[in-house]
Amino acid sequence: MHAQTWPETATTQASVLASDWALFTYAGLAVAALVWGLILFAILRWRRRPGGEAGALPPQFRTNNPLEIAWTVAPLLIVCALFVYTYRAEATVEALPPTADATVDVTAYRWGWTFAYAGGPRVDGTAAAPPQLVLPLNETTRLRLTSRDVTHSFWVPDFLFKKDAIPGQVNVFDLRPQRAGTFIGRCAQFCGLDHALMTFSVRVVPAPEYARWARGGAR
Amino acid sequence: MSAASAPVAAAASPRNDLLSWLTTTDHKRIGILYLVASLAYFAVAGALALAIRTQLAHPAGTFVGSHEYAQLFTLHGTGMIFLFVAPFAFGLANFLVPLQIGAPDMAFPRLNATSFWLFLFGGMVVFAGTATAEGGAAAGWTSYAPLSEIPVSSGLGQDLWIVGVLLVSVATILTAINVVTTVFIYRAPGMTMWRLPIFTWEMVATSLLVFMAFPTLAADLLLLFVDRHLGGHAFDPARGGSAILYQHLFWFFGHPEVYVMILPYFGVISEIVPVFSRKPIFGYTGLVLAAFAIAGLSMGVWAHHMFTTGAVNNPFFSFVSFLIAVPTGVKFFNWIGTMWRGSLTFPTPMLFAVGFLLNFLLGGVTGVMVASPPIDFHAHDSYFVVAHMHYVLGGGSLFAIFAALFFWWPKMFGYRLREGLGTWCFWLLFVGFNVTFFPMHFMGIDGMARRVYTYADAGALPLLNLIATAGSYLMLAGVLVFAWNVLLSALRHEPAGDDPWQANSLEWATSSPPPEHNFERLPPIRSERPVFDARHPELPTKR
Repeated sequence: MHAQTWPETATTQASVLASDWALFTYAGLAVAALVWGLILFAILRWRRRPGGEAGALPPQFRTNNPLEIAWTVAPLLIVCALFVYTYRAEATVEALPPTADATVDVTAYRWGWTFAYAGGPRVDGTAAAPPQLVLPLNETTRLRLTSRDVTHSFWVPDFLFKKDAIPGQVNVFDLRPQRAGTFIGRCAQFCGLDHALMTFSVRVVPAPEYARWARGGAR
Repeated sequence: MSAASAPVAAAASPRNDLLSWLTTTDHKRIGILYLVASLAYFAVAGALALAIRTQLAHPAGTFVGSHEYAQLFTLHGTGMIFLFVAPFAFGLANFLVPLQIGAPDMAFPRLNATSFWLFLFGGMVVFAGTATAEGGAAAGWTSYAPLSEIPVSSGLGQDLWIVGVLLVSVATILTAINVVTTVFIYRAPGMTMWRLPIFTWEMVATSLLVFMAFPTLAADLLLLFVDRHLGGHAFDPARGGSAILYQHLFWFFGHPEVYVMILPYFGVISEIVPVFSRKPIFGYTGLVLAAFAIAGLSMGVWAHHMFTTGAVNNPFFSFVSFLIAVPTGVKFFNWIGTMWRGSLTFPTPMLFAVGFLLNFLLGGVTGVMVASPPIDFHAHDSYFVVAHMHYVLGGGSLFAIFAALFFWWPKMFGYRLREGLGTWCFWLLFVGFNVTFFPMHFMGIDGMARRVYTYADAGALPLLNLIATAGSYLMLAGVLVFAWNVLLSALRHEPAGDDPWQANSLEWATSSPPPEHNFERLPPIRSERPVFDARHPELPTKR
């Protein structure tokens, strides 16, 4: 039941999401290392040493136009490149093909979840007995998410993905698990007293087993 | 004018009793009142943070229950954001802006006093909710509808929160009007706009942001109040309202508010780094343009708080958010350029300024990360975001606040805080801050949601949380050392003199503390650092 750690991705969408995490983490750390390095270098190199001449002023320069243009343009190019990557990653993750292999209506409420399978079982559970969402392995399941009271958020950390459940609005997204197993899911948007206990589990099973469950597993 | 006949002795030694402070319209006293009040709110909100960390030290902590925990994080966030980080900046601006531009006071002194009292009582109204039967507000500092609507949050505490935050909003708008008017109208002869100290520039940009952001917050809160008590349905989808509308209005305020809480502190850093590098600020024009670029862009990024709602154009808000990294980077390079080839010393204000640079940088990097929707799909509403925002507001703004306190204390009170205790304060806060908040990145990646009073006893979460809690007590020690420093320094001190740091801007040209009308005489203003020019007549003056 314990969440597997990133980046062993559990869905095909999560593979894309994990690559975005990796790119931004490495790019961010590279930039941070450069800037931290410059700060620490300046501190060590130009600290006034004991016995140094206190009266003498260092050079009083104020500008360097080529340098200032460079450190404006270079970050601009970097963020443009990051944007292109992030745009394509998001488009891939949020793409909705015309049909899906299964469809589930997910309704969040204080403090539980209902998973209603199209033409199949309906699973419901609250904080005291959290419900289980069963998904077929290597097939695409479409989730249609809403809330019947306040705003909640459907989050499966192993899928690196969440989507808000908002009253009066249906959010649609696909999940295509590529690893069998059981994963923890939880509400991510604060929704009152039992928000911390508003969990569910996701069980990913091979397609034949899923089909058997969907035929007879109604509760 | 009756001033000519006023007795000279009375003008030289203004009254110093309690009534004179309660009725003051002197910008310096109002500034100090703001600082004292906001630090008091910081103490309260900080105590709430310690209670939060105490509860989370163990996965199934029993220090408080779920309802108490919700009040803790709601009032912690509200206190830190609305009653400490932003008002402290306006307190500083109250004290500094007229001095930095060579003016005798703010443009509207009585309006200024009104702002302070609205802010002070607004904060008290927010906290008064804890004395009601159902307790204080418990819907988070964001107070999202429908969670904050009557069917779910029926308590009076939520109403008091709405009214209190509204009062603070009005106070903030009035102060912003005052700052902008003062800078545009009251500058001394020679103080052209392009000679303004960077702090004053940043306060102009901040005030313009306030004009655009805070009325929207007021509208959002009024709509919420109408929904709750006057039969409105603005945020009720069952009656034709929209739950997402609340978020749009809130973040249209809330993201500019982030820059209201950081631009003034960019200004603080831009004042302190040149003084202790003994060089002029590098790239003055670039710094000013960057401030306005950040302010302008920040009006177009609000929905990056809503990437997971499925209700906004994620790519647009993502791209504009990325763009903010560019002017922010410019500022960093300018501060490094200021230190470059300088003659650097590290008294407490400079220590905190360097701490700001090191911490804020990480907050900036994670800020670019969460501006990417695919990352935000995992990070949003998790402890990763908690880490990010605390690196910006705690590692950034809070460190700049301490830098400002140590730097301008001698100007405000005529004596310095102690250096030895200041160094201790810095290291306790710097180590404590990073021990507290760095592990939170990993908590979020491991799947810990924010605003939870209990969490899974699995994997690294218990250890990470225990480390964070230990760090928070180190931060407490740092704050206590600061309080001890204030006490000792107030009891025994030597006069600091007019210009103890060999500084640059006009506030250092007058006595410490300054006389009631600020300046007996002004030095010639021929650059953005007139006090430096007066100290070094042998050097050619730039501009």
